[in-house]
Amino acid sequence: MIKYIVAALFVGGIVGYLNSNWGSIVAGGFVSDYVFNASLLLLLFVMGVAFGMDKESIAKMRRVGFKILLFPFAVALGSVLGGLVGGLILGIDVTASMAVSAGYGWYTLAGPLTIQLFGAKWGALGFTVNFLRELLTIVTVSLVVKLDKYAPIALGGATSMDTTLPVIVRYCGSDTLITAFSSGFTLSLMAPFSIAAIAMLPR
Amino acid sequence: MGYLLRNRRRVNFNRVTFGIIIVLIFSLGFSIGSNSELLNSLPSVGLGAVVILLFAVAFSVLLVKIIRRLVKIE
Repeated sequence: MIKYIVAALFVGGIVGYLNSNWGSIVAGGFVSDYVFNASLLLLLFVMGVAFGMDKESIAKMRRVGFKILLFPFAVALGSVLGGLVGGLILGIDVTASMAVSAGYGWYTLAGPLTIQLFGAKWGALGFTVNFLRELLTIVTVSLVVKLDKYAPIALGGATSMDTTLPVIVRYCGSDTLITAFSSGFTLSLMAPFSIAAIAMLPR
Repeated sequence: MGYLLRNRRRVNFNRVTFGIIIVLIFSLGFSIGSNSELLNSLPSVGLGAVVILLFAVAFSVLLVKIIRRLVKIE
């Protein structure tokens, strides 16, 4: 399974690169917006159906209840803490490194926002850290799930509500759908605020 | 919809989702490959980004594990 995913990602990357460099034979936006969104919607629908059919997951969701909201906060705290430690080790501006990891994987937000708040140099870092987070989640989900059933949700961060949701549900089971989605959703809401809040810290 | 159909014969969802996932990941790769801004910023910040990322995910996983143990979520 995972090797097909990595292959698809790789081939997609190469085709996208060649396409944009050889005068866009296929309009880039068609694949990256239309095909992407259509397959994502279809997938969410199918996963929703699978979830509804699974009696155990519904019972489990009822048992877990509001505790589900603890996940995104643990992930947020862990990410910012990781940014702090990473920044200290690298000897760079820890405010920036914390802000960068507070993107929780949402690179289309973290990139532009860190450019605005910290300048172009940090923008590239914000982009890369969060982009690699998404990539790492997709590629390593089958290994990380062995650490903890919910570890891939932590890894995915904000992306666990859309792009990495399918692979997470595939490996962690249908009953993690709601946890993964709500964690990703909450983190997506938190990301802009946490980046902005960290940027306001004294430097 | 799935809830209403839950007592009916099980469909093999794995095959369906697998196919769609491949299409999804392919288009994700496609948009990354066509994003020259992103590709150009990768090498210049690579190592720092990897270090920050690894710490961020390690702490996230650790805290999730701790939370799970504290509040006992299956």
